[in-house]
Amino acid sequence: MPNVRVVSRNFMEMVAALPAAKLDELYGSPWTCQAVVRSLPPLAKQYVLRLLFVEAAVSSKSIQDWALPDALNKHKVAIDKLEQLRVLIEATERRKEVSYKLNPRLQKQLQDVLKTGGGVPRESLPASFAARVPSLVDLENYAMKQWEAVLLQLVSSAFAEASTVPMNSTLTATFQRAGLITTPKGKEPPKITDAGFQFLLMDTNSQLWQIVREYVASAEDRGMDSAELISFLLELGFLNIGEPYNLNTLSPMQQNVIKELAALGVLQIQSGTKDRWFIPTKLASNLSASISETSGVQPGEGFVVVETNFRIYAYTTSKLQAEILRLFVRLEYQLPNLVVGSLTKESVSTAFASGISSDEMISFLSKHAHPHAAKKTPVVPETVTDQIRLWENDRNRVQMSPAYMYKEFPTVETFEAVDNYARDIGALLWDEPSTQRLVGKAERHEEMRNFIRRQSSAPQRR
Amino acid sequence: MDALNATDDISQVVILLEANPYFWGGRSNGAHSTGPANFTFDRFLEHVLLFINSLHLLNQANRIVVIATGATSCAYLYDSNAAELSENARTARVSKKLSVVEKITQKLEDFMSKEAVYDLNQGTEDNRYSLLSGSLSMALCYIQRILRGPSPHPLPRILCLQGTPDAPPQYIAVMNAIFSAQRSLVPIDACIVGNHHSAFLQQATHITGGIYMKPPAPEGLFEYLSMVFATDLYSRKFLQLPRASGVDFRASCFCHKKSIDMGFVCSVCLSIFCKGQRTCTTCNAIFAPSKQPNPAAAAAQKRKVS
Repeated sequence: MPNVRVVSRNFMEMVAALPAAKLDELYGSPWTCQAVVRSLPPLAKQYVLRLLFVEAAVSSKSIQDWALPDALNKHKVAIDKLEQLRVLIEATERRKEVSYKLNPRLQKQLQDVLKTGGGVPRESLPASFAARVPSLVDLENYAMKQWEAVLLQLVSSAFAEASTVPMNSTLTATFQRAGLITTPKGKEPPKITDAGFQFLLMDTNSQLWQIVREYVASAEDRGMDSAELISFLLELGFLNIGEPYNLNTLSPMQQNVIKELAALGVLQIQSGTKDRWFIPTKLASNLSASISETSGVQPGEGFVVVETNFRIYAYTTSKLQAEILRLFVRLEYQLPNLVVGSLTKESVSTAFASGISSDEMISFLSKHAHPHAAKKTPVVPETVTDQIRLWENDRNRVQMSPAYMYKEFPTVETFEAVDNYARDIGALLWDEPSTQRLVGKAERHEEMRNFIRRQSSAPQRR
Repeated sequence: MDALNATDDISQVVILLEANPYFWGGRSNGAHSTGPANFTFDRFLEHVLLFINSLHLLNQANRIVVIATGATSCAYLYDSNAAELSENARTARVSKKLSVVEKITQKLEDFMSKEAVYDLNQGTEDNRYSLLSGSLSMALCYIQRILRGPSPHPLPRILCLQGTPDAPPQYIAVMNAIFSAQRSLVPIDACIVGNHHSAFLQQATHITGGIYMKPPAPEGLFEYLSMVFATDLYSRKFLQLPRASGVDFRASCFCHKKSIDMGFVCSVCLSIFCKGQRTCTTCNAIFAPSKQPNPAAAAAQKRKVS
């Protein structure tokens, strides 16, 4: 699924888009530095490690010599990325050749990390609290439940009648910013958009990142410093899962963030008589880790079995999963732990109409395949995948493109000359020599008109 | 999702740490020193710990295992995976807070005291050599477990930090380990910290497609480790890496474990002997005395007769 990667990479692009001074400020935190390094392409990581203890500027040529001649493209991508994130800074030398240096702040932080072995950003609370902390299994269930609640909110706006879940205003605003649901006009409740449908079919990590990204993007409007927010979010990812951390020592801004993240299931807040503390869940570790390529691994077991007769059996108790399936499957009956449905032309076409593509459906079905079904190859029967693709092609029988029609040519020769010219420049869409009419692409109209003028006649054009 | 993502740079690195007390101890005495005198075990360990930290820095999903290669035994020192696995236990929560450095040094102390005990019980005949075959086998066993585990697993590789010279008695065991590594597509890298080149490891790296290197200045070990051996298998396709200048392909004979240029080979099981035999000691095949011995054998025969 190509868009997953785009989404997860985008966060670092956001970091890269920060002004230089702010970016340098971010590199004051060892956690940001580590997260940034880990987000880099593999080759770029190696470059950082190689330059880590080099104080002097290194000429770009000697860096290029590290790479094999065949891998020049990869090398350029790596260097570009490093420059974008200001990990590498161009050092001006007297000589003309370009040379690079590691960002001194980042360099220092990373050196410290290597010497001390990293550790955790803040001390967890003493073991006396540990007894009251939920077990990891409970914590994961909690995280999943919270996250499902978030998605259910989105789904509930897809089916107007099912608005049983009370809407959380921050979330709704975030969804709206992300373009997942429409901004309400008048009294009409917000409706889910095409992007929203696609969002539902993504894996949890990508979803989380998209939400967090929007959250950061809107930070400035709410009077938060986005650089500070980013570094705090990245720091959260380095905390140990399932350990309690004191909430009271955080700055007010950070406490605010914690509260909002708790709604997403990224962490759980508990309070005792005097203290309040938060416990990061598995989702929190994804904050710094999701950029890694393994994010495709789906947490939790698969549950969907697709049969060659288009029947779908989903062993799930989750309301959310049933709702997501409902997007493109006609549900036939629901048992306490089983949902049975079938893929029909109508159900799939409705999904296409909401902007879900065949690839997204198929990848959802194969990613969530039941362990028994996942052993088979292909996971989703070919008949089913082919049919879904055929149904999609059905919708694309008509192609629209803006065009101009040229007709009433004075002579057959002019028509033929124009016709040939249009074919040569690739502007021809349709022609009919018997009636001397032809249709050309709108964007090539200028060239066509000039050519026809040069034919020293004035054809009428419409 | 059986095949790994092509752009994956997650690695499972198994480091075989030279921990032969006689090798490092002999060094400070200067008596029969086999390496540069100013490179002590402490310094060596510092470099390796930095290297381990940098592997963790490169990718949080990188997994690292350290196995100590001693004179009489081998032991797991560190497994970055184990901390995560035992998370459920409440007691593990406390022990998890120990840093990598503390974990390794603690285990290393245990290991050394055990080595001392073994040493008292056994003769000190061959303590110049480390149990490379043992630690290689342990590494391969560990990797097999990873490879057979849940399907998206990291790409494994082995890094030998070897200081002691090759132990001829281990020849067969080491070669078997090398071939099994080759079969499971596990590259063996070798970084020699001692004074002698290792023919075993030259062959190992050559056969498995790993990197062999003997740093000219072991004091800067970390530099070599980070420049060369930190490179993950994916990036190796794009980077210039040192190539072995020459590989010592000499085999050792099965009878006296001497490395030889020319010898006798059993026609049935391909065992190598430095002297002509009537029967093969490995497969018990009986050799008929041939009328026309090949020139090499004939030369050896003559030498033996005279």
